[in-house]
Amino acid sequence: MSSPPSGQTPLVELVDIEKHFGGVRAVNGVSADLYPGEVVGVLGHNGAGKSCLMRILSGAMMPSHGQIRVRGEDAHIASPHDARDLGIETIYQTLALADHLDAPSNLFLGRELRTKFGNLDDKRMLEEARKVLHTLNPNFTNLTDPVSSLSGGQRQVIAIARAIYFDVKILIMDEPTAALGPSETAMVADLIRKLKAQGIGIFLVSHDMHDVFELCDRIMVMNKGRNVGSHPIEEVSKDDVLSLIIKGGLPDNWVPRNREVAQ
Amino acid sequence: MDLSLTSIRSKGKQLNMSAEMFHKLSAFLTLMILIIVFAFGNAAFLSVNNGLTVLLQTSVIGLLGIGMTLVIITGGIDLSVGSVLALSGTVTGMLVKSGMPVVPAMLIGVLVGAACGLFNGFVITKMKITPFVATLGMMLIARGVALQLTGAAPISRLGEAFGVLGNGALFRVVEQGANGFPRVVFPGIPYPAILLVIVALAGGYLLRRRRLGRHIYATGSNEEAARLAGVEVDRTKITAYALSGALAGLAGIVLMSRLVTAQPNEGVMYELDAIAAAVVGGASLMGGVGNISGTMLGAFIIGVLRNGLNMAGVSAFIQQIIIGFVVILAVYIDQLRNRK
Repeated sequence: MSSPPSGQTPLVELVDIEKHFGGVRAVNGVSADLYPGEVVGVLGHNGAGKSCLMRILSGAMMPSHGQIRVRGEDAHIASPHDARDLGIETIYQTLALADHLDAPSNLFLGRELRTKFGNLDDKRMLEEARKVLHTLNPNFTNLTDPVSSLSGGQRQVIAIARAIYFDVKILIMDEPTAALGPSETAMVADLIRKLKAQGIGIFLVSHDMHDVFELCDRIMVMNKGRNVGSHPIEEVSKDDVLSLIIKGGLPDNWVPRNREVAQ
Repeated sequence: MDLSLTSIRSKGKQLNMSAEMFHKLSAFLTLMILIIVFAFGNAAFLSVNNGLTVLLQTSVIGLLGIGMTLVIITGGIDLSVGSVLALSGTVTGMLVKSGMPVVPAMLIGVLVGAACGLFNGFVITKMKITPFVATLGMMLIARGVALQLTGAAPISRLGEAFGVLGNGALFRVVEQGANGFPRVVFPGIPYPAILLVIVALAGGYLLRRRRLGRHIYATGSNEEAARLAGVEVDRTKITAYALSGALAGLAGIVLMSRLVTAQPNEGVMYELDAIAAAVVGGASLMGGVGNISGTMLGAFIIGVLRNGLNMAGVSAFIQQIIIGFVVILAVYIDQLRNRK
């Protein structure tokens, strides 16, 4: 899938998104799209506006201006709840877990399973959590401990499980491997390929060039709140990406990498 | 495979229990030691009548403590409960005085408390004022309104029906003595104690089995995470404060009914006893931690301490000093446990 298939409806279209904080334009007229089964890497400095853009899509922040279309239809995303209803799930860099609660409570937080009397169905939540956590990490056993007592990798697994357990169509991953060891990083990479094969679209926010070139179909680079370049991954080299991140533009006399090879 | 899973699960549960049970156990032991010490100090301490007195005295602090626990778990605090108690009690008293039947007047009193709590919740979530300041404001407002309404004078002669809730008891056995005077064989279970048990069970059910309870813990544990997970954080907090206010109103009615007088000056510094009960019971002012059974233990520790010291003839001033130290000690022991 070198270039997005034309004619197909994108899962998500962000059109001319702006976000102002007082006089500061954190996101400035950014447009982007994401197709089913596609991984788009979102790159840029800290403070380039990529997290802000992702927070707008996940409903954690309202844009000052601009339009979001999901599966071709205008979407109004005013809260994380709205985003989830549209099948948009987010794995936050901070993991966003309630430390005093256990893994099942965190997994189902805001979407608790209930019995017909409206009571919490802790037994079923524990069973479901056990299933989904075991598919991600077979060694995950201490499900009833508060998550504050778990390792960084286990916490990450809970955050990932929470995003994929429900009917996810669009996944936003904000530095999913930052807290992980090598084997867990490989697990996340496998997971991304698996989700991709299921036709799920993924925005992958990452600083790790290796991950980006390994996993992404396309990249978009943000610099000072602007989208300074959207390219299929075959078109660019690591140096090109670094130039986009640092300078906000491609190197002078740039030729697409794939055509360069062809010559 | 199945067997090993269940064994792991039960092991995990045991570990979980023992961590939480430790605090409960130490609080329970403290309570027992207090009772033994006071029993040696004064024979009358262990009498049925004194037991009922403790139960009555504790029921007011207990009701306030349950509401306080909900608020503290969300990471907040409610300094207004003592004043709201007075306002609800005086409003009820005034309504009864003006001829309203007791039951609807009491319901209105509880609603007044809930309204005060609702106001607290709105100020905290919508005006983004810290809980300490917002409820400090309400503490002054509610007390001021109660004093203004009554001209700071107590409302007495409210009729027998008004005193039933505070002074009545279930299963009271009274027999006619030979001298013609009634003799109390068994004083019965006081209504306030029954009310406390019902509210405590309801509070425990809310926190453990209902979604709102889960959200109260999540909000106090990590507010941003709860919000991102789709929890209506503001609504959760407002509900917690409203419940705290309603329970303060209920406590006020119980207290005024017991006195058969509406006192606008009642309940000064009760909020501190309620906070102490919650904290001694293991609630963390940082949020996310606490439960009703712990708070009940805390309320009884403070109730027994007060009562025992009274019976031992210790002055009210020394009592304050002792309870102050107990609160600090309880939190210190809890921190030692958590550091491990």
